[in-house]
Amino acid sequence: MDVWSSLMDGFATALTPMNFLYAVIGVILGTAVGVLPGLGPAMTVALLLPVTYALEPTSAFIMFAGIYYGGMYGGSTTSILLNTPGESSSVVTAIEGNKMAKAGRAAQALATAAIGSFVAGTIGTTLLAVCAPIVVKFAVSLGSPSYFAIMMLALLAVTAVLGSSRLRGFASLGLGLAIGLVGLDSVTGQRRLTFGQPLLSDGLDIVVVAVAIFAVGEALWVAAHLRRTPLHIIPVGRPWMGKQDWKRSWKPWLRGTAFGFPFGALPAGGAEIPTFLSYVTEKRLSKHPEEFGKGAIEGVAGPEAANNAAAAGTLTPMLALGLPTNATAAVMLAAFTSYGIQPGPQLFTSEGPLVWALIASLFIGNLLLLIINLPLAPVWAKLLQLPRPYLYAGILFFATLGAYSVNLQAFDLVILLVLGALGFMMRRFGLPVLPLILGVILGPRLEGQLRKTLQLSAGDPAGLWSEPIAVVIYIIIGIILLWPLLFKLFRRNRAAAAPAGPQLKSGSSAPNEAGGSVSHASHRASGGDGGDGDGDG
Amino acid sequence: MTIVVGYVPTPEGEAALTQAIAEARKSNTKLLVINSSKGDALVDNRYAQEPEIQTVEDRLATEGIDHVIKQPVRGHDAAAEVLDAAEEHNAEMIVIGLRRRTPVGKLILGSVSQRILLEADCPVLAVKA
Amino acid sequence: MSSLTTGLKGRAELGVALLLGAAGALVLWDAIGLVTPYSKSDPVGPKTVPYIVGALLIICAVLLAINVLRGGKGEAEGGEDVELGHPADWKTVLPLAGAFVLNILLIDWAGWVISGTVLFWGSVLALGSRHYVRDGIISVALSLLTFYGFYLGLGIALPAGLLEGVL
Repeated sequence: MDVWSSLMDGFATALTPMNFLYAVIGVILGTAVGVLPGLGPAMTVALLLPVTYALEPTSAFIMFAGIYYGGMYGGSTTSILLNTPGESSSVVTAIEGNKMAKAGRAAQALATAAIGSFVAGTIGTTLLAVCAPIVVKFAVSLGSPSYFAIMMLALLAVTAVLGSSRLRGFASLGLGLAIGLVGLDSVTGQRRLTFGQPLLSDGLDIVVVAVAIFAVGEALWVAAHLRRTPLHIIPVGRPWMGKQDWKRSWKPWLRGTAFGFPFGALPAGGAEIPTFLSYVTEKRLSKHPEEFGKGAIEGVAGPEAANNAAAAGTLTPMLALGLPTNATAAVMLAAFTSYGIQPGPQLFTSEGPLVWALIASLFIGNLLLLIINLPLAPVWAKLLQLPRPYLYAGILFFATLGAYSVNLQAFDLVILLVLGALGFMMRRFGLPVLPLILGVILGPRLEGQLRKTLQLSAGDPAGLWSEPIAVVIYIIIGIILLWPLLFKLFRRNRAAAAPAGPQLKSGSSAPNEAGGSVSHASHRASGGDGGDGDGDG
Repeated sequence: MTIVVGYVPTPEGEAALTQAIAEARKSNTKLLVINSSKGDALVDNRYAQEPEIQTVEDRLATEGIDHVIKQPVRGHDAAAEVLDAAEEHNAEMIVIGLRRRTPVGKLILGSVSQRILLEADCPVLAVKA
Repeated sequence: MSSLTTGLKGRAELGVALLLGAAGALVLWDAIGLVTPYSKSDPVGPKTVPYIVGALLIICAVLLAINVLRGGKGEAEGGEDVELGHPADWKTVLPLAGAFVLNILLIDWAGWVISGTVLFWGSVLALGSRHYVRDGIISVALSLLTFYGFYLGLGIALPAGLLEGVL
């Protein structure tokens, strides 16, 4: 299995006219939803899932990949031109980007974001193509106990590290796991949580759950809190950069990529922390520190690159281990399952052509995004004038259509509404939605691995830590869970000694899993809040 | 008595404003500038922002016109806001700006100007940019 | 006044704790009802995981209740199109949910073209658009397009309902 020849085969598949067309559709849709308020890539992929059942899985995933990368590009446009970061990962871009735009340098800000995203996306995808097979090689040697531990790590890391309240994260996780329980037990065939309702015995369709939580919940939530004062978009022509801008941008792009990819690949790494780290680093290294806060191009170039490299990084555990670490990856994983494709380390062998076509299409999508976005930025900005009633009514309309078309049962729409109301409530009371979705998707697989593990050890719980990798992971989980406690002790002991400096350095050498997740939790505590605060202003 | 002008930060809007200033000076009446937004989209370029309104304000001040500027955002369309203001202030005239539109564009988009022309109780002066 | 409103808001979040507790109890109650013939090949059985999940939910419910009573508050989610300054606008949300329910009731009987039209038109209306005719035309067009698009493009036959034979 040579990476290079597999990748070339992937390009051959991805460049057939039909698949190329889906890649184009994907990046256009992705950019549009990234620009439009209230729509994100996770929601869009969820909405499109039912529609793509009629397609070849390969074509569908090529389109999803385009949407994923496109959404990242589109998000930066609104951050820069409107100062309204749609996703937490573009909060940092908005800080300097909007200042640049206000100072009449919108074209340069958009250009450095687009080109930086292209550079980071391309490097990130290359790293994905190189790293994923290595991870797979390592992963196929693992048994059920290790898998069980890795899945626990992914679930607990996302729940405990992301979001502002751990307690609310765990509440959301619990709800997700409970939803995942509904239906026939795969081993004994007993009905769980079906309440005698035959329609529930197949379990809740993950498409319906994802559409309900992401689309219906979000549409209802936004409808309840519509922004009334119109914003004014900063007019922009075609993005371009001068020589000076290139000179100041290329290093931040590369450094941003170095931050983004490893964090994206970690469970619960996400894109938020690397963008912030990149911003802080650029601020410190810049020859023009006085420009920071007034529109420094480095402050756009670095975080945007980090953001896109993280997107590529996220796909590594998704494809190599079947572990989603953000919402879009979670929905894409659900899509694999709906196509009857088993995600996990076997994926590269059992569905090799699909996976390589997907990776190849990421390269193609990246290039397409650059070509589409540089000249079309003013057109995308026009999308923002779409009246809200049509936008949100459209989301509800397509959510209903999608959920209904899966089984052609009105009953699914009742579930859609109930779970949509749940999604609304979660947004109202600050319960993060990501742990719920991961719970629904990973819960049943987690249970499967648990039962397999204990079956092998004939019921002896010691079987859970019978593999060395599993033990290492449990230690990491322990550290993550106890982190707030450890952090407090650490603070007390060292009182006011050395502030943020040394901690930030440790984050830059993050590829090793243990060191990465731990240092990362500390950045979250010290840094993440600052970033959020600035962005909202 | 007042003159009501529907203002938008575009050439048509500027033309309407210029004409309205001339009219207000001629009859020595108060000028009511209306710039509204329905507030139903994230971005509304026809809703003037702080600096643009300041420019209008400065211009009216230097020309020495007795004026009021209003920017209602109440979910009503621009025609309704202008008509409301005209009725409330018992306007002697409404000034609006027009742009060229093809018959098809008119059919699809509807027209603020048309509604003002049809429903106003006072004379309407329509200016081409 | 302010103590009253904070009191009420706190109580609203207790509802979340209540919901979690109820969900946990439900999961436990359902798990107890399962029969597990002990078997060597499945020492874990179908009950274990539901017990853990139920316990997790109940623990979260209790901790959340304590957290809320101590003055903890979930942070409502922001967004680019969200203004958290004003309270939830039920006058928009309830009609929106109404349009959704109407669609559920109509879809099998009247068919997608009719129920989809009602859904979109009703939603647009609930969200504050007042171009009744234009919205109506868009609604019908969207429903028809998706009906034929799904039928011809994807091979999924959405219900034709009352318009059976016409479409």
